[in-house]
Amino acid sequence: MLYLYLGIILFLLVLIVWNMMTEKNLMVQIDAALVIVPLVLRLLLIK
Amino acid sequence: MTIIMKKPLLSAAVLLLAAALCVVSLASDFRAMQEREPIYPGPGVTSVRMLSDWFPGIYGTPGDTEVYILEGKKPGSAMLVLGGTHANEPSGMLAATLLVENAQPEEGTLYVITHTNQTGFTCTDPQEAAPMRFTIDTPAGPRWFRYGSRASNPIYQWPDPEIYVHASSGQQLSGSETRNLNRAYPGRPDGTLTEKIAYAITELIRTEKIAVEVDLHEASPEYPTINAIVAHENAMGLASDSLINMQLEGMDISLEPSPKNLHGLSHREIGDFTDAYALLMETSNPAQGRLRGRTDEHLVVTGQDKFYLKAFGYGRLYVPYDENGHPISQRVARHVTGIAAFANSYTEMNLGGERGGINLGTLPGYEELESDIGPYLCPKA
Repeated sequence: MLYLYLGIILFLLVLIVWNMMTEKNLMVQIDAALVIVPLVLRLLLIK
Repeated sequence: MTIIMKKPLLSAAVLLLAAALCVVSLASDFRAMQEREPIYPGPGVTSVRMLSDWFPGIYGTPGDTEVYILEGKKPGSAMLVLGGTHANEPSGMLAATLLVENAQPEEGTLYVITHTNQTGFTCTDPQEAAPMRFTIDTPAGPRWFRYGSRASNPIYQWPDPEIYVHASSGQQLSGSETRNLNRAYPGRPDGTLTEKIAYAITELIRTEKIAVEVDLHEASPEYPTINAIVAHENAMGLASDSLINMQLEGMDISLEPSPKNLHGLSHREIGDFTDAYALLMETSNPAQGRLRGRTDEHLVVTGQDKFYLKAFGYGRLYVPYDENGHPISQRVARHVTGIAAFANSYTEMNLGGERGGINLGTLPGYEELESDIGPYLCPKA
């Protein structure tokens, strides 16, 4: 169950980072960066 | 709003770096909540074991905690003191710490758990704006202690059910009480983390043949059961005798019977499920009350709050309250005096029979502690 949860987070993270790299609108890039923070913390099982 | 970047990869890299810095900062801040304040075992401590020694089911979990054992010079009966059942009631943890660092029993064995619900010390209660730590001034300088949550950390036990059903009685309580250690006794070996901690304590009491168990708590000044001993019916004789001795020392205290239909509490279930005399003590802590104003270290340590002063003027409190508040020294003094009185009465009433009594040796008196606990909580090198 834990690995499934981590897998979903990792999948989401990859999509968001990919979107961030290909996006030209700075505001969308900032949105993506904000979303990345809590997802990385969850991936590391910290918060 | 749209801002089109000519070099989107560069801006993405900068933003990723900023996100990484945020992650590092937030992670280290959050990890700091796990840091434990140091405890300095005194000359009376003969061994330190882990609670999981009595129930391996909590070994390696965040619920495992130190059990300090103070064996007296003479064999006798055993006493267990539980501090930190609720981590937002700090005088219990401080009184237990003071015992670990100062008590030198003459007869019998004293078991002390300073952080009974250890996970509660790693978080605070949501929406309470409570400080994460507080400081006691000692002759060797300030010493910090953790201020925590009433319940187990939800990081380790989640989600809460809608309704918490107490396993052995079927009693129904609010779902959040599922993480309240003092609603989990006698506990279950296959239950939640909180129930497992309760089970480990019950096992310790059974295995070590604990004769007297004292659970140290605090309550808000507007709560009716305050500055009180709550005793299981089997322990009423012991509690009554102790109460007279406490009052002779100048400490105003009352005695309440443990309600028979309120389950999961230590004074009910440990009394029902073990042979120990089960007792609980309550002091007054304005920092956890509903009427308080600003919640900070000052309130935790001094218990001074202008809104409680007003509430007392309106006759809404169950304890006297003036501009001096309810300082933590006074609250710790009440607990330590109570514990000494229970041990003395147990011995004087010869409740241990052939096993012998409990003599905790020389402990600081009520007035001495009430004036300042700092000298008894000195950090050691």
